[in-house]
Amino acid sequence: MFKLRNLAMLTAPVAIALTAWSCERQSNAVAPAIGTPLAHFFQFQCTPFKMTGGGRIDFPPGTAEKNPPASHEYETFGAHVMDQNGDCVADQGALEWVDHRPEFRVNGSPLNLHATAITFAEQATDTDCKDGAAHWGGKLRVQNTGQEDLDFEVWDCDNGEPGVGHDGFAISVPALDYAVMCPDPDLPPAEPTCTLTGGNRQFHPTH
Amino acid sequence: MKIDTMRRAIGLVAVVLPMTWMAGTVAAQMRAANAQAFGVSVNTPTVNQTSPYAVLPTGGALAEDQGQTVAVANFVTAQDAFAIVTGDADPTYGSNAVSSATLGAVSLLNGLITTDGVVAIATSTLGDGLVASDAEGSSLSNLIVNGTAVSDPAPNTRIDLPGVGYVVLNEQSATGDGVTTSGITVNMIHVVLQQPILGVLGQVTGYQTVGNIIVGSATSSVN
Repeated sequence: MFKLRNLAMLTAPVAIALTAWSCERQSNAVAPAIGTPLAHFFQFQCTPFKMTGGGRIDFPPGTAEKNPPASHEYETFGAHVMDQNGDCVADQGALEWVDHRPEFRVNGSPLNLHATAITFAEQATDTDCKDGAAHWGGKLRVQNTGQEDLDFEVWDCDNGEPGVGHDGFAISVPALDYAVMCPDPDLPPAEPTCTLTGGNRQFHPTH
Repeated sequence: MKIDTMRRAIGLVAVVLPMTWMAGTVAAQMRAANAQAFGVSVNTPTVNQTSPYAVLPTGGALAEDQGQTVAVANFVTAQDAFAIVTGDADPTYGSNAVSSATLGAVSLLNGLITTDGVVAIATSTLGDGLVASDAEGSSLSNLIVNGTAVSDPAPNTRIDLPGVGYVVLNEQSATGDGVTTSGITVNMIHVVLQQPILGVLGQVTGYQTVGNIIVGSATSSVN
C-alpha cells in the first residue's frame, strides 16, 4: 500500500505537468481578421474544446429581458463547434440561425442562416465568461436566397448555469452587413455577446 | 485490538473507495443528452402528421428541420416553422440539451385559435452542480382563443372549447429525478379534441378524447 502511495506521489506531478504542457498556448491561430475592436475577445489560445447549445436572444437590445412577443424582436439558434486537436481548426461544427424580426424577412420568410463549413475555433482567454468562451466561424448559406460561401464569425460565452441571463452569443456576417452583437461593456456577459433569454451554452475542454 | 480495528477499517476503505470511483465512472460514461422539437403535430383517427420535426441523433450535436408552410386541412395552418435541436453528453463535464420550435402565423380549427408567433424552448443542463430543466424563452404572441385575447399564459393554462374539447396553453411536463436526470417537454398550444359519450337515453355521460393537435413543441433531457 505504501509503495502504491509513493508511486502515486511520483506520477501525479508528471501527470499534472503533462496536462499543463498540453494546454500551453500554440501560436498558429487561423481566425480571420474581421469584426470590430472589443474590450473582450482580444486574446485567444488554441486548445482542444467544444461548445454546444442554443436558445434565444432578444436583440435589440440583447439584454436578459424578453421583448414583448408581439414585437417579434428575437432570434433563435442552435450552434456547435469542436476543436479536437487544439490547433484552432474546427473539426466539427454547425450553426442554424433564425432572425424573426419583421424587418429581416427575406423572400417572405425569417432570415435563416445555415453554416456550410466551420473553419476556425479558438478559445478566448480574456473574457469574464466563467466557464469558457470561444470565437469561431466559417462559411454559411442564406437559406432564403441561396447565397453561398459567406464568411461569418461568432462570439460565444458560457458564463455559468443557468444559461438564461448568464450566457451570451453574437454573430456577424460582414458580406450581408448583418450582425447581432451587443458591444455594451456594462452588460454581462462579455461583449459583444448578447445575453440569452432562452437556452444554454456549454463550454467543455476536451482533453 | 485498536490496530486490528484500524487495519479492518483501512481494508474496508480500500475495497469500498474504488467501487465508488467505478460507480462514478459508470454514471459518467452513461451520460446522455436528448432533444426533439416539432412545429405542428395532428393526431386523429384519420390524420397523423408531424412537421417540421428534428431529433438529436445519437452522438450528434445539432439537427434542424423547417417548413415554410404547414397545412393540415380543417385542423391547422402555420407559417415559418423551424425546429432546431442541439445537445452534448460529456462524461467529465456534464450534459446539455436545448431544443426549440418556432412558428409565425398559426390558425387552428379554422380560426378558433390564432397567434402570430410561437416560440417553444426546452433546456436541460447537468453540470456546474446543477441538474435542471426549464422552458425559459418560450412565448406566444397575439394569441386569441375563441375570440378572447390571452396574454402570456401561465404554464398549463386550460381553456374549454365548447363542442371541440379544450386547449392547454404553455403545457409543461417535467421528467427525471432532479438529482441525476432532468427533462422537460413544453407544448405551447395543445388542443385535445373530444366527443361526448352518450348514455342509453341520449344523455352525455362523459367525454372521450378523439385527437390531439400540438403547435410548438420542444423536449429536452439529460442524465
